[in-house]
Order: sequence, then C-alpha cells, then structure tokens
Amino acid sequence: MPTVMEDCVGAIQHRFSPYSFNGGTLLAFAGSDFALLAADSRLSEGFGIHNRNAARLHKLSESCVLACCGFQGDCLSLLRILEARVKMYKQTHQRPMTCPAIASLLSQLLYSHRFFPYYCYCLIAGLDSQGQGAVFSFDPVGSYERVPFSSLGSASAQLQPLLDSQLSSGVQLSASQAEQLARDVFVSAAERDVYTGDSVQVCLVSSVEVHRDSHSLRKD
Amino acid sequence: MASVSAFELPRGGFCFDNCRRNGMLGAELAKHGAKLPKARKTGTTIAGLIFKDGVVLGADTRATEDTIVADKNCQKIHFIAPNIYCCGAGTAADTEITTQMISSNLELHSLSTGRKARVATACCMLKQMLFRYQGHIGASLVLGGVDISGPSLYSIHPHGSTDKLPFVTLGSGSLAAMAVFEDRYKINMEEEEAKALVRDAIASGIFNDLGSGSNIDICVITRDKIDYLRPYEEANKKGDRKGNYRNKAGTATILSEKIKPISFDILEETVQTMDTS
Amino acid sequence: RLAILPSIIRGDWQSHTQCTNPGSIQTPLHHSSSSQTVKKVIEINPYLLGTMAGGAADCMYWERVLSKHCRIYELRNKERISVAAASKLLANMVYQYKGMGLSMGTMICGWDKRGPGLYYVNEEGTRLSGGMFAVGSGSTYAYGVLDSNHRPDMTPEEAYDLGRRAICHATHRDAYSGGVVNLYHMQQSGWIKVSQNDVSELQYKFREGN
Repeated sequence: MPTVMEDCVGAIQHRFSPYSFNGGTLLAFAGSDFALLAADSRLSEGFGIHNRNAARLHKLSESCVLACCGFQGDCLSLLRILEARVKMYKQTHQRPMTCPAIASLLSQLLYSHRFFPYYCYCLIAGLDSQGQGAVFSFDPVGSYERVPFSSLGSASAQLQPLLDSQLSSGVQLSASQAEQLARDVFVSAAERDVYTGDSVQVCLVSSVEVHRDSHSLRKD
Repeated sequence: MASVSAFELPRGGFCFDNCRRNGMLGAELAKHGAKLPKARKTGTTIAGLIFKDGVVLGADTRATEDTIVADKNCQKIHFIAPNIYCCGAGTAADTEITTQMISSNLELHSLSTGRKARVATACCMLKQMLFRYQGHIGASLVLGGVDISGPSLYSIHPHGSTDKLPFVTLGSGSLAAMAVFEDRYKINMEEEEAKALVRDAIASGIFNDLGSGSNIDICVITRDKIDYLRPYEEANKKGDRKGNYRNKAGTATILSEKIKPISFDILEETVQTMDTS
Repeated sequence: RLAILPSIIRGDWQSHTQCTNPGSIQTPLHHSSSSQTVKKVIEINPYLLGTMAGGAADCMYWERVLSKHCRIYELRNKERISVAAASKLLANMVYQYKGMGLSMGTMICGWDKRGPGLYYVNEEGTRLSGGMFAVGSGSTYAYGVLDSNHRPDMTPEEAYDLGRRAICHATHRDAYSGGVVNLYHMQQSGWIKVSQNDVSELQYKFREGN
C-alpha cells in the first residue's frame, strides 16, 4: 500500500537484503561450578513460523556450549566454522580448547566480518580452567565481555531487567534455582514476545556432563 | 481543514495537515536510521461464514505493537446493530472508531426510516466512508448479519472495495484461516458444524500466524438470537511459573505517614454487576 | 614525579555501533539493553592503557592487535615501546580503514623513557598528544568539570576525585553514559587500578557536597 510518507520519500525501491531476522531468545547464567544456558526453539520469519523445534544450543566441547540466534543462515555457517576451528585446535594441541579461548576465537571470527557482519547474537557458556562457571556475551561484530548472566535476542529487552533485579545483588544461584528461573522467565517472554515460544531448551554444563532438557511453552 | 490558531474552532472531520510534514520527517529520520512512531496495528485473524440459519463471525484476541503483544485479550468483534456485527483487522483505533461511527449513523437511519437496519446499508456506509479517505483509515472489516433478506456477509478493504461472499477471512492470519475454509466449507451447514469450522479457522490463524494469538471469540447471528461467545475457547493457557518474583513488603521504605479521615454520609447505594469478560 | 591523568578515566556510550559497510548494505542490528559493566579501559600491557568509545568491537579488536604489536616490539628490541610509537601504530592501523565505517575514539596512556604520555586517537587517523582529554558522547560535560577544577599541582587524591567527578557528572547529563567509573593511575612502575565506583552511588555522594 503506497502511503503519503512513501510518496514524499520518492519512488519505492526494491532491493535484495542479505539479512533476515529469525527470532529467538537466549539466556545464560554462570554459577560457582556450573553454567546454565536456555534458548527457545521457535524459528520464525516475518509473521510465519518455519520450525517449532529448532536447535539453538550447540555443544562445542565437554565444558563449553554456544547459544546463537539472529539470522539462521549466518548462525549455521558461523557454527560450522567455529566447530571446525575447535576441532583443529584439539588435534593440533592434543587438548580441548578452554571456554575463554573459544570465546576469544569467536570474537576474532565475528570481527573478521566487520564490514559485512554475521547477523548473530551469541552467548558462550561453560566452565573455565578453574572449573568455575563462565558466560561470555557477544555483539554481532565481536565485542565481548565475561558476565555473571546475560540474555540476548528478540526478548532480551524483557528478560535482562528482570535478571538484573533478581541477580544483581550478587546472589549465587544453585543449578536447580537457575534452571527454575530460566524456565520462568521464558514463560513470561513467550507471553509477550511473538518471536519466543513453542519450547525452551535448557542446557546445564557441569564438571560431570552437559545435561540437556526441554520444556514446552505457548504455541501461538 | 484544521484550525491554524488555537482560538479557531475545530471544523470536524479528519485533519491531514501533518501528512506532508510527517513524510518529510520520516525521510529525514530514515537517513539517521530512526523511524516515526507507528499506530498500533493488530496482526489479526478474523473470519466469517454463512450457514443454514445465519452468520458466524470469529476473531482471535491478540493485539500487537510491532513484535510485542500489547493486549492478550482484546475484543475484535464489534457491535454495529442488534442484528449486525463486524470483525475488525488493521489499525486498532481505525476499526474501533469506524465501527462506532457507522453504528450510530445506522441507528439514526433506522430510527428515521422506522425499519430494522440492513447489512447492505451498513456495508454501503462503511465503503463510502473508507473510499472517501483513500485508504488512510486502515480498517479491514468482516461485516455480517441477518436482515429482511436473510443472512449476508461482506468483506471490506481499507480503500473501500467490498466483496459479498459465503465465507471470508481477513488480517495477517487470513491465509491460514482461508485454507481451512476452502478445505471444509459446505453450503447450508448446521450451526454446530459452522461454529466448529470457524473455530478451526481462527485456531489455524492463532497457531500459524505470529500476529494472531490467545483466545477465540465467536459471534453467531441468526434471525431470532445473537450468541456472542467471548471467549468461545481459550486456545492458549498461560504457562505457570514456579518462582515468586514479587517484591517483599517493605521494599519501598515509608519515610513518613499521615492519615487524614474524610467524613461523609452514605445517601444512596446501588450495586451493579461488572462485565468481567 | 607523578602523572595523574584524570582524562583516561571515562564512562561513555557503549557497545553496539551502527555498521555501514562499503557496499552500503545496512546491517539490521537490533539495539537493546547493552552492558553496564563493560570495561572501557583496556589493559594493553602493564605500562599501557587504552580507552574505549564508539564501537566496542572496534576498540576491543584494534587495541588487542595493538597489544600484540607492542609485545612483538618488546621481544625484537629488548625494550618497551614508547607511548608515542604505540599510539602511532594504532593510528596507522585504523587509517588504512578510513571511510569504511569504523568507529573508535580512544586515548592511549602510558609511561616510557620520556615520562608519562597521553595520546588521543580516533577512527579517522587523528592522533593528538596532550595533557588532558575527554572522549565520547559525554565528553563535553566532562571537559566542563575538568577545565574548571584542574590545577597542575594536584595531589594524586585530588586528581582521583576530579576524575571521578568529571565522569560522574557527565553520566548524569548524557543519556548514553552510565554504569561504573573505573579509575586507573599510571605510574612509573606501571598502571594501578585505583577504584571502581557505581555512578549512582557517587551521584548521591557528590550531591551531599563531599
């Protein structure tokens, strides 16, 4: 529908856009000896849903998990490159890459596309070399920071203030408390954000294992 | 059109003075990556069909502001006349006000003619108004009712074009809903069957279209009764949260407190039941 | 001799930058809540500090590259790089990308043979040496405080206080600034981190006239 606004701007231009936004919300907590990640599983575009069971949490090593959302095409190719680089590192150095090292590598990968960025919001969470929980939060061009907790993606503006209020005073959560909080904030996010829903995948990284779980959310 | 001075009386009607200015502002803002504020548009699924004895109208109840759900249970089936209802999609304010205006004009019309309002009259008034404003009133409507000539159903587009059809869908979820209608619509359906079909069409919009969601409202109009079912079905239940996130009492400290009693006498007391739908 | 460089202490606008790439394809970066704790003073090495304003990724990346070059220089020449040379390396690196949309306003501060050094470097390749700078969206507010209270004979404690005040008052007026004030002191023996204060707490302190 041509509007007055468009009339004043001039001719309507159609051109190829290399990006689209596929929604998704990510969340991660760092505990004293664990890290917890959560992400919803709805893959959408515009007003449509492509996939109700999309994977957003990717295990990179025994102590490191990547959560990624934004443009799915970029997420997939970034993941492929990152997985390959982590594998190459392990074969070259005969030891797995640590979580902070993977974070640094991801930062370099993202910045290498500074002028045509990967449209990806990434969180890396796991255990550092001391066995403490670590969360690294990234922007699409590779600026990153180690934080106690973080949320990214379509509902991050709703989640982050809640997490700030619940956790800013330096509260240390247990793994089960963190999981409950993650589930609860996703229930709230699914209420108000159209790009968040269907189910929430939760991933607990501890020294024992990387444990995965899934809980359903509203589907509208 | 609009008054230049604050002392000049308004002359009524819409004012388009700011269209050109906003167009310029929008173009300027776009250069800096900013946008003008937008009116609330309800991504919507609305549908209606004609069955043996009348008309069934259906709508979802989600109102969105960009990607945020602004209202989880809004009313999209509007009253026009006792025998005519209208579903609205598009700009929320436009559908609301347009249906209200046509409703009053139709009431005046039926008072002056002394006859019950006809759906065709309502349709004609709506399309004439929408055409006059050349699409600036962003209302997409599904108008349905039963009158002297039997049940009838219209879809009305923002520029003023109308269609008279046995089954229609509109809004962002219209494709999902139409798929259901195209698959299962039959002429001369029974009421229960018709309600179930409209329910399924709206549900398909709710689950497959991100602009639509929450509950299903249905309005059944027959010659002798109106069945406004709100909600007809709660398609989505709110998930339950295990934790308690309320602030503890005393989080906001009271620095000083002063209570001043106001004395009054009760002269009259009436109790009214509130519409809690 | 002490060099108190209040201007290396900064809070200013953060994280996400608007990226325009040479093909003029706009990346649809969604802006939302960014960090309150991001470290805007980057510790390049024990004798060099860099600050961050503009694109967080740009500052973070190029100052990391700079720290690599500084280390290589040290290994090759068996002595530390001068502040002048370090800042020039950075300026030359970003100058190669001039006009391509980098966003970086930084101060490089250090201590070398010539004593304390402070340079301002930005994405256009500008490189200025000076005794006092403020950079970023709130810099005008910070300069107001710095210029009215700065004396050449300040004690370290007085300088710390002035630095904190400048940032604190800048965050108060600038919508893009806030969070914490990180305060560093560059000495002959290298930098020390003096303090980290939440601006909302400092604000009350300064308002009470302390």
